[in-house]
Amino acid sequence: MTPTPPSPSAKRASGNPAVNAQITLTAKQQREQQKREKLAEYQRQIAKRRRSKIAWWAVGGTATVAIAALIAASYFLTPKPVTYARGDGDGTAISGVETFENTANHVEGDVDYPQSPAAGGDHNARWLNCGVYTEPVPEENAVHSLEHGAVWVAYDADAVGEADLETLKSKLPSSYIILSPYEGLDAPVVMSAWNAQVKLDGADDERVEDFLTSYWRAATVPEPNAACAGALDAPGKQS
Amino acid sequence: MTAAPRRRWIAIVLIAVAVAAVAFAVGRFSTFAASGPALPTTDSAEAGFARDMQVHHAQAIDMAMTIHRKTADEDVRALAYDIATGQSAQRGEMYDWLVKWGLPQSGGAPMAWMAASDAGHDHGVTSAEPMTAEEEREAMGMASPAELTALAEAEGTAADCLFLSLMIRHHEGAIPMADAVLELASDPRTLTVAESMRNGQQFEIDAMQAMQQRLSCTP
Repeated sequence: MTPTPPSPSAKRASGNPAVNAQITLTAKQQREQQKREKLAEYQRQIAKRRRSKIAWWAVGGTATVAIAALIAASYFLTPKPVTYARGDGDGTAISGVETFENTANHVEGDVDYPQSPAAGGDHNARWLNCGVYTEPVPEENAVHSLEHGAVWVAYDADAVGEADLETLKSKLPSSYIILSPYEGLDAPVVMSAWNAQVKLDGADDERVEDFLTSYWRAATVPEPNAACAGALDAPGKQS
Repeated sequence: MTAAPRRRWIAIVLIAVAVAAVAFAVGRFSTFAASGPALPTTDSAEAGFARDMQVHHAQAIDMAMTIHRKTADEDVRALAYDIATGQSAQRGEMYDWLVKWGLPQSGGAPMAWMAASDAGHDHGVTSAEPMTAEEEREAMGMASPAELTALAEAEGTAADCLFLSLMIRHHEGAIPMADAVLELASDPRTLTVAESMRNGQQFEIDAMQAMQQRLSCTP
């Protein structure tokens, strides 16, 4: 084996080419190498720190969102107060409803009522039995039924035909209703409860249901839940 | 202050804020139960039962008062008094349920609440279409206007017998309604009342059938 002549830049030699390569580096190259390694190490550290920072932000952000959602849910899921109509005798939100203050004495004979049809006031000792009437009913008795929570549905027989009457009937409860024609009505249909009244355009007026919801058998009448049967059957009572 | 302790303080404050926020939300959630169990809604079986049974009871009271005025039979008079006053009291309580639940006395088609129950199906109630007034009356065992007129005009034992047959059918009509609400409702007082109503009406049916035999009423 012929000895290899030493290269001018290397003092030692190795059989391992990598070691050989290192050995062959100049001092200046070595310093640069170290600098590069330091820089790489520094960058690794920065990257590591950045990764852990991202992890913390992710955890913190998720927690913040979760807590915010929890607080939001504690508001959104709060049980809602009742918002539907309460049947509390307050139908003033219904368009066209008028309310009154009337006395409630038992009297004999005719009464001159301020409303037409009467919507409360002094009345006969015998209430009118609720039901469908084909003739005008005695007002002094009908008012007593209003005092018991009935709703009086008076209609103008000239303006409300057979079919309209059936439509109207289909919207009314089977009890605590007086349905009767009325002479000299200034609207096709007028619904009266104790101290409340609404004048309607006809049988298909949607205020029929609204008025019933607020006033039919409302707890605000003078004698809530008293009977609307067992007293006076006026002429023309159909059912 | 150096960077590390400052960061620790910020972390402690943030965690404290987070804990306080969670506690706040939990506090709000804990008040949900305090507002009590949800009241029956206007579409509930409880509300439907309270409305329809008041209509049903009102007619029983009317018929009982009619026979109470004119019967010569002391047992029939006592029964009529019992039915009129007892059902008036029950009717008053059901009226007040709706007042307390904040619901209108009117609402929904009669008997519609029974559609979801087995008792309702046996009773011919479906949600498909609302009943006519006549179907509704028949389903509840109630008397027609013609039958009420006949009761008002009858005299003596004939009146007693007519009253008993009408009232037996009337009571029988209440039992499926009580069954339906027992199946569908959850309000405790409603369940108690429906249970005692079902039992009470059955006892009265038995008593009225015994009276029919004693008075030799023809069926």
